[in-house]
Amino acid sequence: MEKKGTVTQLSSIYPAEETQKASRRVQDAIAEREQQLNQLKAFIDDNTSIMNLVQKLPDETHHNIMVPFGKAAFFPGRLIHTNELTVLLGEGYYAERTSKQTAEILKRRGKALEAQVESLKAIMQDLKAEASFFDVTADESAEGLVEIREDYVEEASGTLPAAGHTKSENTPFVEVGDKKGAYEDEEYIRLLARMAELEKEEEEAAKGDVSNENEQIQNEPNSTSGQITTDEEVGSLSVEASEMPAVSKEVSSHGDYPALNNSMMNTSLEQPREKKEVQAPPTANKTAFTGSIVERAHDIRTNMPEQQIGTRSSKPVSRFKMQRK
Amino acid sequence: MAATKELQRELENKANDLNKIQKDISKNHQVRKKYTIQLGENELVLKELDLLNEDANVYKLIGPVLVKQDLAEANANVRKRIDYISAELKRLDATLQDLEEKQNSKKEAIFKVQQRIQSLQAGKAKA
Repeated sequence: MEKKGTVTQLSSIYPAEETQKASRRVQDAIAEREQQLNQLKAFIDDNTSIMNLVQKLPDETHHNIMVPFGKAAFFPGRLIHTNELTVLLGEGYYAERTSKQTAEILKRRGKALEAQVESLKAIMQDLKAEASFFDVTADESAEGLVEIREDYVEEASGTLPAAGHTKSENTPFVEVGDKKGAYEDEEYIRLLARMAELEKEEEEAAKGDVSNENEQIQNEPNSTSGQITTDEEVGSLSVEASEMPAVSKEVSSHGDYPALNNSMMNTSLEQPREKKEVQAPPTANKTAFTGSIVERAHDIRTNMPEQQIGTRSSKPVSRFKMQRK
Repeated sequence: MAATKELQRELENKANDLNKIQKDISKNHQVRKKYTIQLGENELVLKELDLLNEDANVYKLIGPVLVKQDLAEANANVRKRIDYISAELKRLDATLQDLEEKQNSKKEAIFKVQQRIQSLQAGKAKA
């Protein structure tokens, strides 16, 4: 239909190879963290098993054990002083503790390990999200998805274009043929609501016109007077048609954004068509007459929102026209 | 022709410098990692030492032997060590920032040289 934005191949912005490379790098990072996590889990297991042992040791005054001797040999021995332990605190510091005190130290150590595991898990979750993002992007660019970016032209207020800009950045991946999706943000809904409001107003105004004209017809049912009113109608219509260029000029004077030019083109394209329909009425009286009224109402509808909204934004208007066609 | 060659050489030199800086940065990161781990360990030790009774026996492993140490002394030693590591970390941070600044300026310089080469080549293509 009309060209309003740019269509870029996603693969030209994010080449499939590059995204795959990035995703691989993130996967590597995840694997590294996984190893760390496994190591921490092994530490926790060691910690709990040694805690059990330390708690059981003082149950007896002595234990018969096999004492390791060198790398491969053991000899029978006896473990005494079962309640006295020398605990490594770290950094080469040892402390003499009872088994109960040792159990407490080990408990604290276990808690520290748990905290580390938690933080590691959080990091891994982040990385996984990143990886899935990269994967999705790689897939999409491999599938030949295109990014459709339409400029959100706004000349009156300075804040809205910024909003439109962020929006297009927030939703960079637009499915093909799903143009609507990109604009279903609050801003656009608000604009649509405003337009619907204006439309209703115009329609009501038009209805009033229609009923007035209908009364005229009922009052003067003969064909000649009907012909006269039609002529009048044609005259007023042609006046309006000649007004059209002025409107479009007004719109174009706001700036030479591409969307604006499009809307201008639209109006100029519509003009001849309407003129043709206007010239039709004299041949077939009654039907053509109602037709001309409809045409007029429709004319107002195209004219008015443009005059009112055109100063606010040109894009919604052109979209509105799109829907109407 | 000679100008482009000179620019190319300049670009190469700058790229080498950038590489060096990046290597330094990664080295810095590794050292930092080591120190952070040590800091964590020392903090754990300090916590445990604080929880000990006054009369508890504390030993320090020096080489193959456990040497008995005063608790207060051990405590002071660990604190000193933590202070040292913290200072070291701060120093590393400062150097890292410095290096990153250097890296950015180098990158910019490289970009400029590249642009100059491009414009030169474009001019030649026109001529």
